Amino acid sequence: MSVRHALLAQLAEGPKYGLQLREEFEARTGEIWPLNVGQVYTTLQRLERDGFVESDDVDSGPQKSYRITGRGEAELAEWLRTPPDMTSPPRDELVIKVLAAVRLPNVDVQEVIQVHRRRLVELMQQWTRLKEDEAQYDLGLALLLDAELYRLDSVILWLDATDARLRREAATPTPARSHDRPSPRPGRRMGARR
Amino acid sequence: MSLAVEDPPLVLGTGHGGMAARRAVIRWAWRLFRREWRQQSLVLVLLLVAVAAITVGLGAATNSASSQASSFGTADHLVTLGSTDESQLSADIDALRAAFGTAEVIQYQKVPIPGSANTIDLRAQDPNGPYGRSMLRLDSGRYPQGPDEVAVTERVAQIFGLHVGGTWDLGGRQRPVVGLVENPLNLLDRFVLAAPGQATPVDHVTVLIRATAAEFAAKTLPSGSSIELRSPEEDNSSAAVLVLATIGLLFVGLLAVAGFTVMAQRRLRALGMLGAIGASHRHIRLVMVANGAVIGTVGALAGAVLGLATWFALSTQLESSFGHRIDRFNLPWTTLLFAVLLAILTSIGASWWPARSAARVPIVSALSARPATPRPAHRFALIGAALLAVGIGCLVAAQQTKQLFIVGGVVTTALGLLLLAPVGIAVLGRLARVAPLAPRLALRDLSRYRARSGAALAAIALAVGIAAAIALTGATAVAKAAQPTGGNLPPDQLIVWLFPHAVDGAVQSLTPEQTASARLRVDAITGDLHATSVLALQAPVGKDTPQDGGGLSVVQLGKPTITSSGGERPGVEYSSKLSVRLFVATPEMLSHYGINQASIGADTDVITSKTGIDGYDLYPFGGTPPRPHLQQVSLPTYSSQPTALMTTHGMETLHLSAIPVGWLVQTPRPLTQAQIDRAQQTALAAGLVVETRPTGADLERLADNATGSGIAVALGVLVMTVGLIRSETAGDLRTLTAAGARRSTRRTLTAATAGALALLGALIGTIGAYLALGAWYHRELHWLAHVPWVNLGAILLGLPLIAYIGGWLLAGKEAPGLARQPLD
Amino acid sequence: MSVLELRGVSRVFGHGANGVVALDGVHLSVEAGTMVAVMGPSGSGKSTLLSIAGTLEKPSGGEVLIDGTRLSAMSGREQARLRRRSIGHVFQDYNLLAGFTALENVTLSLELDGMSVRRARAAGTAALDRLGLGHRASSFPSQLSGGERQRVALARALVGDCRLLLADEPTGALDSGHGEAVMRLINAACKRGVAVVVATHDAQLASWAERVVFLRDGRLVDQTAPPPGPESLLLPVTSGR
Repeated sequence: MSVRHALLAQLAEGPKYGLQLREEFEARTGEIWPLNVGQVYTTLQRLERDGFVESDDVDSGPQKSYRITGRGEAELAEWLRTPPDMTSPPRDELVIKVLAAVRLPNVDVQEVIQVHRRRLVELMQQWTRLKEDEAQYDLGLALLLDAELYRLDSVILWLDATDARLRREAATPTPARSHDRPSPRPGRRMGARR
Repeated sequence: MSLAVEDPPLVLGTGHGGMAARRAVIRWAWRLFRREWRQQSLVLVLLLVAVAAITVGLGAATNSASSQASSFGTADHLVTLGSTDESQLSADIDALRAAFGTAEVIQYQKVPIPGSANTIDLRAQDPNGPYGRSMLRLDSGRYPQGPDEVAVTERVAQIFGLHVGGTWDLGGRQRPVVGLVENPLNLLDRFVLAAPGQATPVDHVTVLIRATAAEFAAKTLPSGSSIELRSPEEDNSSAAVLVLATIGLLFVGLLAVAGFTVMAQRRLRALGMLGAIGASHRHIRLVMVANGAVIGTVGALAGAVLGLATWFALSTQLESSFGHRIDRFNLPWTTLLFAVLLAILTSIGASWWPARSAARVPIVSALSARPATPRPAHRFALIGAALLAVGIGCLVAAQQTKQLFIVGGVVTTALGLLLLAPVGIAVLGRLARVAPLAPRLALRDLSRYRARSGAALAAIALAVGIAAAIALTGATAVAKAAQPTGGNLPPDQLIVWLFPHAVDGAVQSLTPEQTASARLRVDAITGDLHATSVLALQAPVGKDTPQDGGGLSVVQLGKPTITSSGGERPGVEYSSKLSVRLFVATPEMLSHYGINQASIGADTDVITSKTGIDGYDLYPFGGTPPRPHLQQVSLPTYSSQPTALMTTHGMETLHLSAIPVGWLVQTPRPLTQAQIDRAQQTALAAGLVVETRPTGADLERLADNATGSGIAVALGVLVMTVGLIRSETAGDLRTLTAAGARRSTRRTLTAATAGALALLGALIGTIGAYLALGAWYHRELHWLAHVPWVNLGAILLGLPLIAYIGGWLLAGKEAPGLARQPLD
Repeated sequence: MSVLELRGVSRVFGHGANGVVALDGVHLSVEAGTMVAVMGPSGSGKSTLLSIAGTLEKPSGGEVLIDGTRLSAMSGREQARLRRRSIGHVFQDYNLLAGFTALENVTLSLELDGMSVRRARAAGTAALDRLGLGHRASSFPSQLSGGERQRVALARALVGDCRLLLADEPTGALDSGHGEAVMRLINAACKRGVAVVVATHDAQLASWAERVVFLRDGRLVDQTAPPPGPESLLLPVTSGR
């Protein structure tokens, strides 16, 4: 998340004051991502230094008005089209926890998975409730909520897949183990219906 | 929790469902029919054809019988006055009028036909007579008036070359022909009509009278008169049609069961959904039954309309073959209504069982369109085997005569076979294990969807079974005809009779010219057949034998039976069944059979090859019937051949005279059906009758037709069911295609399904036919050794082959939309 | 009082050693106006649970109570009446009758219950209007889109005096947009006082429910905590500013 480019994008709509920028940012993200005033001003100063924005030098402080420059617009246009770095997997804490649980003896992996799954579902319930309550929510918030729900959903999907994989592993002996048991018994039959 | 109800609270119904529920369900069934009647068109068409056939059949049956009204009109007694004396006649008529009130007089005068022994009636009858009005109809011109005018029937006009407006020289009297008439109740009646009282000289007079039996018995009749009573007419013909209709509808019903089972399976998810939203079993059954009722009603009504239309179109053409005019509205309407109702009930009945099974499928299974687990086949098999045993037992007990046992036996045997059909399907499933891939899948699916494939199989088996039974009967008939002994004639002989009933009815003495002209015809026939010998047959007639309908009676040998009916004077009766035909032992006859005249005893009346006829009398004879002296000689033994000959001694002592009755023709080779047909046509043109040994060819022809029809019906059933069975498993097909199966695999699948069903049905049907006929002929099983190879080959090999090829060809056209069977 | 209560419900398919346990001692109670989601992988017994709750199947053991009445004490006919009046089913593949229009599909259960056609039509039209489908009332299912079909199915389930809505993967055949629309409608019905049970393996769907229970091999293994108060909705941003 680049605050720098988010501010640039806001200024592309027209000249704005620093405080106004902060309020608009928070409103558009449904106050999910809080932003402090200091952060706004340091970012604006850097942008001005790089020549992406310019201010009317009348006053310094909250009433100072900023507007985007030609370079700033070029920078914004390029940023919009630059893909974020997704090549290396993030070091996800949940993944590490599950991997650890699989290795550790005396730990019920499925129980661990279920704890996380429930927690994630509870989180999703909260987001969904927000979606449901905000009948007239604006587009930005809707997109943001969807993004969050899909992200959590994908984590749950991964947990489900992990769960299923572990069950299969437990049911079918690995080739190494199958030497000891020449006639592998089929796994426990699951419920017959969906 | 907060309840924010926006609508006013709903007022719910009574909760029983009731009429509203039924209406909703029936509405859906109607929509279902409108959407899917094409899938059930075979059932629809069969019902339609059945009802149409019943309608036409009822019309024909009701109108085919010639009514006594053709001679009685609307009267019920017909008095023939014997006197020819004018004054005596009018006195007799007056007496009858006085006794019975209304009496209609018809005078008859005999008009000879030149060059023929036959005569034509000149009838003096009032066209507006109180009783006889219905016996006359004017076709053109007008009715005769005055002493000379006459009207004639078309046949008479042809014979004498007459036309309306011309004159007819009748025994020197010039009579103007003023009209063409007919007896609408008997188109074969040929006569000349004159104005009332204008038949001179009168030959005899009949008087039509209406009276109850008691009234009639109370009055004295003029002496010398004879009476004919109108016998109560009972019409069994429509009952017979109705019995046939019931059997036909039973078959249609079985097909309908198959069709409705398929439909129930197709609608299973929708039915499950109905259950899920709270339809009771009864509602679900109602959907199916209502659908059956709709199909039945539409089919039956359309069939009745089609039948009526056909009847109306056909009735005029039938008039000539029935020999009387037909009132096209003279239909047994009540019986027809009954038949229509029966057809509707058949359809409803046929939908009942599938409806019941569909309602019993658990809702969850129904929602996923999983057919109910097939009931174990052996349970049905046990009942089926029991029914089969009972049916065959009935057929054995029927002894080929007891009707109730025959009908019961046939129906029970058929039902037994139908219940055994699922076992066949189960066996198919077992056989699948060793089959190649596509047939294996086809056979597995057949046994998985046993309910519908079983019904289809049953229908095929029944159609084929009936065909096979007829084919077997045909083969037996041919075999019987071909056996060396017994029967009426050897296969290489035929008799040309001069008279329609040979020597069993009235005969006439022909003039030499007539005999010669008949002989010319016979020569034409024998020439065509390259006959080796032609033997003239003469029959003995008594000079004073009672006049019977204007002809002479041939003297025969009959077994006397003493009757004491009604406690009156005991009489003697002769049964025609036990009679022996007598011919005259002419020298030609004797030399033909190598009998030396000298070897015949001086007092021998009759020489015969028959034994056990010692107590037989000669009849008919005025006075005491004489018992002839018999002598055994070697004469032929076939029943229509001359087996008993009246010797010259017999002829003389009994004062009999010989008249020609026919010719016995010997051909070099056994006669073929084609030769017989030709001879019959030639004979018919000359008013002669040909008798031969029956060849069974008619039955053979019938057997061929039945085989063809059976195969056609079986194919129809296959068309209806195989496509559906295959489309249900279209998912497998996609999987197969994805697995790299070629188009030919898909074709093989459908072809194997159709072929397997056809083969199994043909087998079951044939086995059933053999079992039934085995029971029928249980005393003479050897007849079944005569196998109708062609017919059975067509059924057992041809039908499966056609089914296979047809499946192969049609499978390519399978609609892609069938891939997934959608609910909506 | 709970609209639906399952007490130790079990369901075994087959017999003896070959028996497959689909449900094993499930306890669950659903209040009026609440939505419960049953989550679990395929074969965990979700659909069986719904079938049993909806009187489409009989449990092998345990007791089902609807509005406090034991199902085992009811005859088949009474259960059918219960389905007509109080229970609404929504299936993944809609299961609409092809020969009936949208409105007729909706009014079917009312008519089956003996309501006059006129009154049933009025109620059905109201139900369709509420789901925004008033203008499609006379369309046949084949003329409707997937989302519309599922809304018709929902209207059919909710029409009349529906107290319990059982939805089995109701959005399974729909894209996310239509799926969310259907879930909003179900949620709205729930707010009006209908008890809802949704069976799904989709967490987004399940997150609409107040309570999510987790089914695994026929057992309820876990459930979410009751919803927190509205003030805790704002969450700390955790990463990447």
